[in-house]
Amino acid sequence: MSATREVISTGNELSAIAAVDAGCMFFGGYPLTPSSEVMHVISDLLPKVGGASIQMEDEIAGICAVIGASMSGVRALTATSGPGISLKAENLGLAQMAEVPLVCVNVMRGGPSTGLPTRVSQGDVAQAKNPSHGDYRSITLCAGNLAECYTETVRAFNLADRFMQPVFVLLDETLGHMHGKAMLPTVEEVKEGIVLRKKFDGPADEYFPYECGPTEPAVLNPMFGGYRYHFTGLHHDKNGFPTEEIETCRKLIQRLDDKVTAHVDELESYEEFMCDDAEILIIAYGSVSLAAKEAIRHLRADGIKAGLFRPITLWPSPEAKIKEYTDKIKDVLVVELNIGQYMDEVQRASGRLDLKGLYKVNGRPISPYEIVNEVKEVF
Amino acid sequence: MARTLMRFTGVGGQGVLLAGEIFAAAKIATGGHGLKTATYTSQVRGGATVVDITLDEKEIYYPYANDGEIDFMLSVADVSYQQFKGGVQEGGTIVIEPNLVHPTEEDRKKWNIVEIPIITIAKEEVGNVITQSVVALAIANTFLNAVDKKVLIDTMLSKVPAKVHDINLVAYDLGEKYAKEKGA
Repeated sequence: MSATREVISTGNELSAIAAVDAGCMFFGGYPLTPSSEVMHVISDLLPKVGGASIQMEDEIAGICAVIGASMSGVRALTATSGPGISLKAENLGLAQMAEVPLVCVNVMRGGPSTGLPTRVSQGDVAQAKNPSHGDYRSITLCAGNLAECYTETVRAFNLADRFMQPVFVLLDETLGHMHGKAMLPTVEEVKEGIVLRKKFDGPADEYFPYECGPTEPAVLNPMFGGYRYHFTGLHHDKNGFPTEEIETCRKLIQRLDDKVTAHVDELESYEEFMCDDAEILIIAYGSVSLAAKEAIRHLRADGIKAGLFRPITLWPSPEAKIKEYTDKIKDVLVVELNIGQYMDEVQRASGRLDLKGLYKVNGRPISPYEIVNEVKEVF
Repeated sequence: MARTLMRFTGVGGQGVLLAGEIFAAAKIATGGHGLKTATYTSQVRGGATVVDITLDEKEIYYPYANDGEIDFMLSVADVSYQQFKGGVQEGGTIVIEPNLVHPTEEDRKKWNIVEIPIITIAKEEVGNVITQSVVALAIANTFLNAVDKKVLIDTMLSKVPAKVHDINLVAYDLGEKYAKEKGA
């Protein structure tokens, strides 16, 4: 997408505006710091476009309302933070199993439990990969600047409809609340880029929502539109009715995995910042990448050739690109506001255990100087 | 012009956020870059609040002020003054509300501490305590000359309801007047 429109705003507000621009017509949720402004803003915007926003009685009801809205055929959003994801987990699993598209914005704060409500963290990265039990593939996008709070929310809606499952957009407290300039695509461009979920338009008695190719998602027509099917979290057959038939069960779960892994090329997204001649590679994502970029400016001024690799789609990870970089560059520093949740993935993708990590978990941001000092000390 | 770093501190509910948004927006309006971040506690009222404002001609990545680099701080609450003063570079200016903030003698040697009764000015001279953020805005810009005054005032007026334009203009003029009296 182009970047032609200047907007001065916060990350949370941009995420809410993006949802509406992407055609979202329903928000259901429960206000949770530091995500509450997403709900405040969208509650104001949705009624103006004929949509609806409901503050439910709790987080669980919030995700259930969103699943219901999505089953009726509209694009739907919820927003919360880590503790809210914990509460929503069971129904996020239901949406994975029944293949219900929805977008969940998670503005990360300190955890576990209620943690540090107003402070920044990236402690929900592992949770985003597996919020609920069972096998499925998370699609998790992570904004790294104000503009991406908008563009990644838009992308999340298109991916949710493409893959028929929940898509997470990770922000963090810093991005959610920082206020500044974002260069955005025009609303027209966003609208032109909308690709809605597939719909079956043949005879109703030939409609089998879960009968699809081995790497393709279900085709769920809007409920109450003349096409009948069953909706369950149990293993189910092509009509959605519960089954324990051995091959059907195996194929279903394998397909939930394969529908994502077979199409990683449609999902992969990352940024390379001053990587061309880099001799030291920093891997960071989210707001930490802002500190990393500032640090790289300082390091380069001191003659140290550092670069940043920033995954934007965190799950599935850009594993081939990580491998390529970590094969080429010996000195690698992974910087995170948690204790190495993404380091695990970088180790897996790279096959290396000698990577360095810089972590912080006290609710405060990592400053550029901390990164500069760490680079100078460990390499 | 090089990077300008400002820090406004108070306690939750005092409304120090707005001044930061106005500064950032005004700098952007002049073709530069501006970022505001707010850090607060989970207390609804009374927790230390800090707003960092970064203004630059170049793109700004990291949105917080690095400790030791802040040019200017303004504080209307002692709890946040004590917690965040360390970020101001030596010789930097710290404007305090003297009725509420109590610097030590050492502080006065290290920084240019300026006493301006911001809240009293807003409450008694302007007649509305909410205007304290505009008084603060005027004081900060008079000391730093960070953004063109006309652009700053226009941006400020665009962010407050039309019915309170007049009192906010009065608040700006008073802030500027007091700052000039104190050597800005």
